[in-house]
Amino acid sequence: MANLNIDNVKDRTFDAIVIGSGMSGGWAAKELTDKGLKTLILERGRDVKHNIDYPTTNMYPWEFEHRGEMPMAVQEANPIVNRCYAFGEDAAHFFVKDNDHPYVQEKPFDWIRGYQVGGKSLLWARQTQRWSDFDFEGPARDGFAVDWPIRYKDIAPWYSYVEKFAGISGNKDGLAELPDGEFLPAFPLNTVETYFSEHVKNKYSNRHVISARCAHLSKPNQIHLDQGRVQCQKRTLCQRGCPFGGYFSANASTIPWALKSGHATLRPFSVVQEVIYDEKLGKATGVRVIDTNTKEAIEYFAKIIFVNAAALNTNLVLLNSTSNRFPNGLGNDSGVLGKYVAFHNYSAHINAEYDGFKEWTTDGRNPAGGGYIPRFRNVYKQETDFLRGYASGFSAYRYQQRPWDGVGSSLKDNLVKDDLSGWKVGSHMMGETIPKESNYVALDKTLKDQWGIPQLKISVDYDDNDEKMKKDYIEQLTEMFTTAGFTNIKASSDHRAPGLDIHEMGGARMGNDPKTSILNKWNQMHAVKNVFVTDGASMTSTSCQNPSLTYMAFTARAADYAVGEMKKGNI
Amino acid sequence: MHRRTAIRNLALIIGGAALLPACMQEKGKATVALKNVDINAEQETLVGDIAETIIPKTNTPGAKDLDLHLFVLKMLDDCYKKEEQQSFMTGMAQFTDAVKKKYNKTFADLPVKQREEMLLGIEADKDPKSTALPKELKTFYGIIKGQTVNGYTNSKYFMTKQVVYELVPGRYNARFPYKQKQSA
Repeated sequence: MANLNIDNVKDRTFDAIVIGSGMSGGWAAKELTDKGLKTLILERGRDVKHNIDYPTTNMYPWEFEHRGEMPMAVQEANPIVNRCYAFGEDAAHFFVKDNDHPYVQEKPFDWIRGYQVGGKSLLWARQTQRWSDFDFEGPARDGFAVDWPIRYKDIAPWYSYVEKFAGISGNKDGLAELPDGEFLPAFPLNTVETYFSEHVKNKYSNRHVISARCAHLSKPNQIHLDQGRVQCQKRTLCQRGCPFGGYFSANASTIPWALKSGHATLRPFSVVQEVIYDEKLGKATGVRVIDTNTKEAIEYFAKIIFVNAAALNTNLVLLNSTSNRFPNGLGNDSGVLGKYVAFHNYSAHINAEYDGFKEWTTDGRNPAGGGYIPRFRNVYKQETDFLRGYASGFSAYRYQQRPWDGVGSSLKDNLVKDDLSGWKVGSHMMGETIPKESNYVALDKTLKDQWGIPQLKISVDYDDNDEKMKKDYIEQLTEMFTTAGFTNIKASSDHRAPGLDIHEMGGARMGNDPKTSILNKWNQMHAVKNVFVTDGASMTSTSCQNPSLTYMAFTARAADYAVGEMKKGNI
Repeated sequence: MHRRTAIRNLALIIGGAALLPACMQEKGKATVALKNVDINAEQETLVGDIAETIIPKTNTPGAKDLDLHLFVLKMLDDCYKKEEQQSFMTGMAQFTDAVKKKYNKTFADLPVKQREEMLLGIEADKDPKSTALPKELKTFYGIIKGQTVNGYTNSKYFMTKQVVYELVPGRYNARFPYKQKQSA
């Protein structure tokens, strides 16, 4: 930390501070520096430089000591993160280990975290579906949470804005429930996915199976080449970090872009203890961080503060930012801070087989993962005994059958056979959950982390609505599979804890009324006008679409507003 | 499906020849450094002979050429629960006894045909409820079989010379013709 003269307040003063360098923090940094603001990016973990810090990215399977499997000692020491599908020998270094950063589970919650520059944007599943007015009007129509203070028309241009830069592949499907965007060519559905898509279209007027839209450069534009990214090479080893920048991550895209501007300072190993509030000025003046190497507390100052620490850690930072004016957490006049946390219900799956199209297979790999079925339940009106609905993944595949019974030279011969299985099909549920006051996070009263910051206590659970919705998913998909002629249909429910979906949202929700929400329609704190929250914490409801694209759009929109307000002298 | 379950079920996804140092062989001790299981040289030889029977040297490399027996031990040591490791050790003794009882010889002294017969006899006892063979013996053999095949199909040799692994496919053809070959 040679260059930081911590005794000099001027050196610790910036135009803007961004807390967090992941999916949304990277966007805040890019937008604020693009507009010329001198910006400090704070990251609690280590730096992960694009390419340089992807140690496994070009490794062959045989180069992994255990061929990808996590040693039992690591699995047993990390029961939480070990439940994440991407926690393998090739990506474990990008995940927080259970014991390094403990939290309190008042109810079981698998909190999956990535503490490094880029955060979980290195690890995400890269699904990027827009939300629509069926989502933004949901709480008002169905009478839960509070009304979103925005509508689709407010966010639509910002979806376009971030999509062009991030690079989203997809088809213009013309569906009201899943608005089209600025797309690079889609990764096509395979033979059986196409068959199922046509079957569903013919049988149900309101159900669609489309190519999943994903943040991959199927055909890069100049703006992507300018970022140093090139075409996706269909490796599907994304969780290792991509040497081509083939998918969008903060590491490959927004963070290096912000740094290239010359206006950004990136400070890793800086865990934010609190946002500093000045009662005389009536606004936040900066943040206090703890250098995780030296344990030293350092204050940084800025006119604008963006809190993008990832949904639950953003709640933690705000709850821990107390003052006489805000004894219960920054901007928490309403008392709702930390409450109305929700997530996505991923706990049901269905698998089957299809005895046909044996003359067709696929070649290479599909980074989009296959098909996506937008929500078809309760879209235009309430029609079931549960609120809201679910999207579904859908994919079809064949695998190489290499019978490994027996021993000796006949076994060796079997192992090189390239006979393919018949087609297998699978789907997983992505259900919207209802934000409730009783699903909350709070600071633990006694337990602290290694820097003396209170540990987060998480109390989030499923409810009856989730169970009814899951039952419906299984019934409806079973019917769709059956009528498509799929056989050996097996539905399963895995009873996973909330959190493993890695789509936790809320706690510092947006709303029109300061009495019932933390943020206004610009992701700006009602009570502290120079503080903005644009990550998952700001979400009023969860939709059932993957949320990252929406965080990006909200972030770019809020940054534009914040800089405008700053220039007008309003903040 | 959880990664570990997937690996156990398919047994063909990962694995390979261990990149282990060829240590100086101290008499009586295994050549591979293990932390959790105590394997002596004789036991390592037995695992090697079983692995070589599963994947023999033909006109292409066999288990010992690819150090698959060392990979088996490495995986046993690092990636199995304590109870499974204990079953492995118990099962190894049961296996030795069963060979002795059946052939009045050690596995090392058996000709290839009888080695194969012995292993195929264990594989034939598929019913989990069967008590024809002790369950530890089946665990012992199951781990060696699974990890030998796992190691073989994911060895550099196999993935570069037999079924080539592509690190960078660069393509996705969603509709690609396929003709089912007649199995030999």
